[in-house]
Amino acid sequence: MNEILFSNQVIIYLLSESLLFVLLFIAFVVSIKIVIKWDFDSFSQKQFRLEKEAYLVSTITIFLFIIKFILLIYFVFTIDSLSILIAGAMCGAGVVTANEYGTYLLLFKLIIIATLILWFYLNSYDTHTKNYLHMKKKSLLFIAIFISIIFELFLDFQYFTNIDTHQPVSCCSTLFGQLEGANPLPFGLTIPLLLTLFYLLYFLTILTLKTNYRVLYIVSNLLFLYLAYYAVVYFFGTYIYQLPTHKCPFCMLQSDYFYIGYIIWGSLFLGTFIGISDALSSIWTTRKYIKNSRLVISMLTLFVVLSSIYVIIYYFRNGVWL
Amino acid sequence: MNRAFWYFLSLQLFKERSKHLTIIVISILLIFILSSVLFISSSIRFSLEQTLKPQPDFVISRLQGGVNRSTPIEWSDELFDIYGVTKVTPRVYGRYFFRPKGKSFLIMGIDAFEEESHKSLEKLIDSIDIKAFLTGNNMIVGEGVKEYLQKNFYNNSYKFLTPKGKFIDIKIAKIVPKETRLLSNDMIIMPIDLAREVLGYTQDEVTDIAFNVPNPDEWSNIEDKLLSLHYDLGVVDKNEVKKSYETLYNYKSGFFLIIFLILIMTFSLILYQRYNMVYSTEKREIGLLRALGWSINDVLRLKFMESFILIVTSYIIGIFIAYIFVYIYNAPLLKNIFLGGQNLQNSVSFIPIIDIATLSSIFLLYAVPFIIAVIVPVWRVSVTNPKEAML
Repeated sequence: MNEILFSNQVIIYLLSESLLFVLLFIAFVVSIKIVIKWDFDSFSQKQFRLEKEAYLVSTITIFLFIIKFILLIYFVFTIDSLSILIAGAMCGAGVVTANEYGTYLLLFKLIIIATLILWFYLNSYDTHTKNYLHMKKKSLLFIAIFISIIFELFLDFQYFTNIDTHQPVSCCSTLFGQLEGANPLPFGLTIPLLLTLFYLLYFLTILTLKTNYRVLYIVSNLLFLYLAYYAVVYFFGTYIYQLPTHKCPFCMLQSDYFYIGYIIWGSLFLGTFIGISDALSSIWTTRKYIKNSRLVISMLTLFVVLSSIYVIIYYFRNGVWL
Repeated sequence: MNRAFWYFLSLQLFKERSKHLTIIVISILLIFILSSVLFISSSIRFSLEQTLKPQPDFVISRLQGGVNRSTPIEWSDELFDIYGVTKVTPRVYGRYFFRPKGKSFLIMGIDAFEEESHKSLEKLIDSIDIKAFLTGNNMIVGEGVKEYLQKNFYNNSYKFLTPKGKFIDIKIAKIVPKETRLLSNDMIIMPIDLAREVLGYTQDEVTDIAFNVPNPDEWSNIEDKLLSLHYDLGVVDKNEVKKSYETLYNYKSGFFLIIFLILIMTFSLILYQRYNMVYSTEKREIGLLRALGWSINDVLRLKFMESFILIVTSYIIGIFIAYIFVYIYNAPLLKNIFLGGQNLQNSVSFIPIIDIATLSSIFLLYAVPFIIAVIVPVWRVSVTNPKEAML
């Protein structure tokens, strides 16, 4: 018998995901109808009904977004609390890598949140046009979200039913730390080079946002996200834990570090997702400007300041770098 | 959403209060049951963790055919030679069966030369002369043991029957304070030699040997070293114990949750039916609002706010009642599911533990099915055509 499936949080998590799926299915059927039959200029009975049903889709998606967001945090929390049940795991890192599905599941979740934010921007542009110009694009995007949620649900069940509680997993320091001299950083970077790129990309991102070079912004922000992940795991994280050998993206989510990880990762991912969705949707709907550049800038700045401040405080307290 | 909107919403809620009342009452009941169970299980888990914290990291004993046998005391000397091992304590304990009713006590022996065990004992009971206690025929008993003995007219002492057929008369010196009841309820603490005699061990035998390894990175290493000492040696570490407790309580509350799922499904089906009915009578009203210039989004917002307020109200009230039920009245009836009263009757008072994990679990388990059930009825009434409704 699988002990993991009896964990309260896992039961509640799986139930919520499955129930949401039922609701999504309704919205999916309507979206398909919209993609095929939508014609705003028509005065037929069908078109009127479709316009009404479109409201159902947007209501469901807004609800979906709120719950998915809560469930993502809940999922991370659950994974963290499972670490006590699995031999060898000391934080979420070990639990996620307990089988081959975990990492993909986490990635899928992040991608789904990102596309949902993109949908939101499209929706807000759409409702501002008098004749629902972007209804078909929106519905296509929704169908894409639905398909990825099917995969996610499949991964959810595969992941939680296939965790073996008796087989020991690796803890975070073996996953991220001891690589026997191999360089874990991408492009053969070193830590100083990584940090230089990190801050440079941050300024480039803000600069492109301010000057409205949207394509350049998207590229630089994506690169920033990619490097920021490595910078946090291999540099800033060590200052949060105050231990040069502790390299882990998950431990900072625990109460020992005052749940700071939720704010750090949250501001990074939300800032990036909102910014990129904003830019993409404004390009897609042929608009001139990005809507919420200030929000994006403040989120990314919060992320950079928060991670840097740990380093600075450590230096002032101890007088040395790690 | 301006002030007029909220004002209208509160007026609406007040006017239709009889419609919402049944739903609120059922919701409160559901949340109350759910959160009581989760509160109890998280509180028990917390107390177990607290009691496990001062426990030794490792315990070794002799295994024969997978069954624990009496362990030779020389093994504890071999342990001292392993680098990184501290606080080696040979322990004598076991169950003593109280014949007439089939009940049993847990007997624990305390060594007169072991400073460590003294200290923990002293912490447990501050007003006792340890030396006097250890030299005479004395014992310290748990609350449950005391009650049981008194019921059988042993007020001051009890005559133990050893496996050799001898009777030993042992005085009750003290009662363990209440805070540690979960574990110490059926416990009897006595000097180690007395315990050996009562449980039938010889002078150079103990039940098992406990020790600590302060550096957690060394744990698996030490475990390997131990296993190479003797072929019939068995090791248990603290994490294993913790894990099995965790699994046990997960199993109990998990089983409850799975049954609860059926309940919550039925509830949401009822909700779906009911809201369909309620809203069909509201069609005229919505039509009026639409005719006055409300957009579909406005109506949707109004209706969602309405159900959201219902959810939050019943959530808060339900949790509040459960809190009082579990932590102030100690959850009569319900706690027996968790504490199994097979042996001596245990009466634990729960330590109030409320963490975000439990609260968010309750909210998710209740709010998500609720909203999913009402989303379609709400939409159906919101898109009413003003003209159709008025006819």
